[in-house]
Amino acid sequence: MATQIQKLKPAIAPPRPSARRPGALRGARREGIFGFLMISPAVVFVAIFTFIPIIASLVLSFVSWDVITPPKFVGLANYAQLAQDQSVLRSFGVTLVLAVAIVVLQLVLGLGLAVLVNQRKHAWSKAFFRTTFYLPLLASTAAVSIFMGYMFDAKFGVINYYLNLLGVPSVPWLTSPVGAMVTIVAVTVWQQVGFTFVMFVAALMSVPREVLEAAAIDGAGPMRTLFRVKIPLISPSILFASVVAMINAMQLFDQPYIMTKGGPGTATTTATITMYQSGFENLQFGYASAIAIVLLLIILAITGLQFIAARKLVFYQ
Amino acid sequence: MNTFDPSINRRTLLKFGGAGLAAAGLASLAACSSAAGSASSGGTIKMLFFGQQSAATALQNALQPQISQLDKSAKLEVTGINGTDWNDFLAKVLTQIASGSAPDIVSVATEGLQLMASKDLLIPLDSYVTKDLSSLQSYFDDTHPALLESMMFQGHLYELPDSFNAGSMFYNTSLVQQAGLSAPTAGWTMDDFHNYATKISRAGGNVNSFDWVVRLWGSWTSFLYANNGNLLEEGKYTGGDWLWSKAYANQPSAVAGRGGGWKWGTPTANSAAAVEALEYVIDLQRSGLSPSPDVGGGATLQGLFSSGRIGMTIGGGFWAGGLHNAGMKDGSFEVQKFPTWKSNRSLFGAGGYGIFNSSKNKDLAWEIVKMMVKPESFDLIFPGNVTTPGRKSLMTADRYKTTGPTNWSVFYDQLDGSVPISAPPYYNALATSLNQRTTQAISSGDAKAALDGMQSDFEKAAAGS
Repeated sequence: MATQIQKLKPAIAPPRPSARRPGALRGARREGIFGFLMISPAVVFVAIFTFIPIIASLVLSFVSWDVITPPKFVGLANYAQLAQDQSVLRSFGVTLVLAVAIVVLQLVLGLGLAVLVNQRKHAWSKAFFRTTFYLPLLASTAAVSIFMGYMFDAKFGVINYYLNLLGVPSVPWLTSPVGAMVTIVAVTVWQQVGFTFVMFVAALMSVPREVLEAAAIDGAGPMRTLFRVKIPLISPSILFASVVAMINAMQLFDQPYIMTKGGPGTATTTATITMYQSGFENLQFGYASAIAIVLLLIILAITGLQFIAARKLVFYQ
Repeated sequence: MNTFDPSINRRTLLKFGGAGLAAAGLASLAACSSAAGSASSGGTIKMLFFGQQSAATALQNALQPQISQLDKSAKLEVTGINGTDWNDFLAKVLTQIASGSAPDIVSVATEGLQLMASKDLLIPLDSYVTKDLSSLQSYFDDTHPALLESMMFQGHLYELPDSFNAGSMFYNTSLVQQAGLSAPTAGWTMDDFHNYATKISRAGGNVNSFDWVVRLWGSWTSFLYANNGNLLEEGKYTGGDWLWSKAYANQPSAVAGRGGGWKWGTPTANSAAAVEALEYVIDLQRSGLSPSPDVGGGATLQGLFSSGRIGMTIGGGFWAGGLHNAGMKDGSFEVQKFPTWKSNRSLFGAGGYGIFNSSKNKDLAWEIVKMMVKPESFDLIFPGNVTTPGRKSLMTADRYKTTGPTNWSVFYDQLDGSVPISAPPYYNALATSLNQRTTQAISSGDAKAALDGMQSDFEKAAAGS
C-alpha cells in the first residue's frame, strides 16, 4: 500500500510554475474559464437575490421613500432617527433576548437528543428518531405558527384545556408579555431543533471509535467522555450550528408576527417586524432599509464574536 | 496549484462586477420610484379586487360581457388580492404599485381612501359625476349621503361607494334564550348590554358573553364612538356643495351639515371617553365575560361565534353571509343596533372602486365604475351577503331570507348618526399603533398608560404625514 502511494506521488504532485509549458498554460486557462462557467449560475443567483437587494437596501437607507412619490435623498437622517427611536431600539433588544434563548435551547436540546439517539443500538430506531425530530423542520413555519396560535390560545386552546384538567389555572400564553416570549421561544425551538439535532448526530457518529475506546480504557465514564472527548471533538459542528442558528434567530419574523402580531403591546415585536411595519404598513421604506442595514451589521458583529470565541473554545483535529 | 490563469483579470472582473451590482441596485430603485407611472394600456383594464382569485375571476367573467358592449376591444382583467383585513390588503396593493404594476381600477375602502387620495394615486370623480349626473341620479337617490361623504377628501369625490358595514351587535339567539333573556330592543343601553353579558355568562357552559377583534373597525372603538368619543378630532372639509346641491337636491335635510369629506384633526386617543371605553372592555375580560381578543381578521371570532361559544359580538352586514357560510342556520343568530351609551353613534366603513391617476383608460374605467354600482352588479361582486349593499333598495327581506337575520334593517338604519372610522392619510401607522397599544392595555390592564402611548404614536405619525 505504502509503495503504491509512493508510486502515485509524482503523478499527483503539482508541477512547479517554472516547469509550465505554453500548452499547460492554455490548459490552465481553459480550466479557469470552465471553473468560472461552472460557478456562474450560483454567482448570478446570489448576485440577483442577495447582493443586489443588499445594495438596494443600502441605497434606500439614505432616502425617504413612501413607494408612491419619488425617493428623496436624506443622507444619514434615517440612521439618526433610528438611534433615537425607542420602539426600534426596544425591538432590537427583544430580538436579542429571543435569539439568545432560542439558540441556547436549540444547541442544548439538539445535543442532548443527539447523544441519546446516538446511543441507541438499532439502526432502525436511530432512523426513526432522526426522522421524527427533523420532521417539524419540513413543515411551513406559517402553518405551524397558526396551528400553535390555536393550541396556546388562553381561553380555547388545547394546552390550557389539559392544564385545567390537571387543576392548573389557565396560562395567558400569548396575551402576557412573558407568556408570549416563552411561547414563541418554545414553538421556534420545537420546530428548529431538528437542524442542530441532525447535525450533532452526524458529528457524533464521526467521532473516531478508537478515541472513545481509549477514553474508556483510561476509565472515563459516559459523562466525562461526553464533556471531555465527544463535545471537544464535535465543537466545529457546534460552532457552525450556533452561527447558523443565531443568524436565523436574529431574523425571527413568522412566529411572532402570526402568533402575537408582535404583542401584547410590543413585547414580541422583533427587529424584522419593526422593519416590515415601517416599510409595508407605514410606507417608510428608507427607514425600514436603515433598520435592515443595522440588523445586518449587528448579525455580522455577533457572528464575528462567535468566531473570536471559537478560537479558544473550538477544537480542530 | 493556482488553476486561474493570470491573464483572466480578476481585479477587473470584480471592479466591473461591483459597479454593475451598484448600478443594478440603483436601477431597481429607480424602477420602483417610477412605478406609479406605469399602467396598462390598450384595451385592457386592470382591476385589483380584495378577495380570492377565484372570486376575482368570477367577477371578471360576469362583467366582461357588459364591458364588451361598451367597447368591443376592451378586456377586463381582475386580480384578487388576499388579506386578513383592509390594512393588509392596502399594504399589498401599495407593494404591487411599487413593483411597477399599477392597476386602472382598485378596490379601496374607507381605510385607504384618504391615503391614496392625498398621494394623488386616485383621480377625483367630480367632473365625471357632474357630466353623468342624470344617469347616476337613481344611484344617488338610493344611496345614503353619509357613504358618499366618507368617500370624499378635501371637497372631491373619489369613489362611488357600493357597500359598507356599520358596527351593530350580533347575538346568539339560543344563548340569549338560555339566559332567560328576550331579544334586545333597538333602544337598549350599555346597562342593558352589561346585564345581557352577565346573564349569558351565568347560564353556564364553556361560553363567553362577548368577544371582539383588535382593529380599527368594530373593536373597542365601537364603545368609544357610543361613548361620544373618537381617536381623532372630528371635522369636515369645506366643499362638496357641487354634489349635495345637485345629486341630493331632493333630500336637503339628509345632506344638511355635510361637507367635503371627513377631516381628521388632532389625536384624542387618551381622552376621557377613550380611557373609559377601553377600561370597559378590559373590565369585561377581567370579569370573565370576554376572552382576550385576537388581532386583525376575525376568522377565530367567526369560528367561536358560529360554534355557539360566544354570546354577543360586534359585526356588520358582512356577518350575515359569514355566519351562514360558517354553518349557522337562519334564526340561530340575530342582530340589534349597537347599545346606546352617552350617544347612539356607531361607526362604519364603506367600500368602492377608485380610478388610478396613471390609468390610460380613465374614461373606460369610469364606465366600469358606473357599471359596478348598478343594482344588478352588486350580487355579482359580492355574492352571498358578505357585505351590506350601499343602495338601500337592495336591502330587502328576500335578500336575507336564506342567511338571516330577520332584523336586517338594522344594518342600514345604523347609518343615521354614524361616523366613518377615523382613517386619515396616515391610516397605516394609526392602525399599527392601535393594535399594539390595545393589546398592551389588555395585558397590563392599564388603559390610560397604553392610550398615552397611542396618543404619542398618533402625534408622531400625524407630524410625519
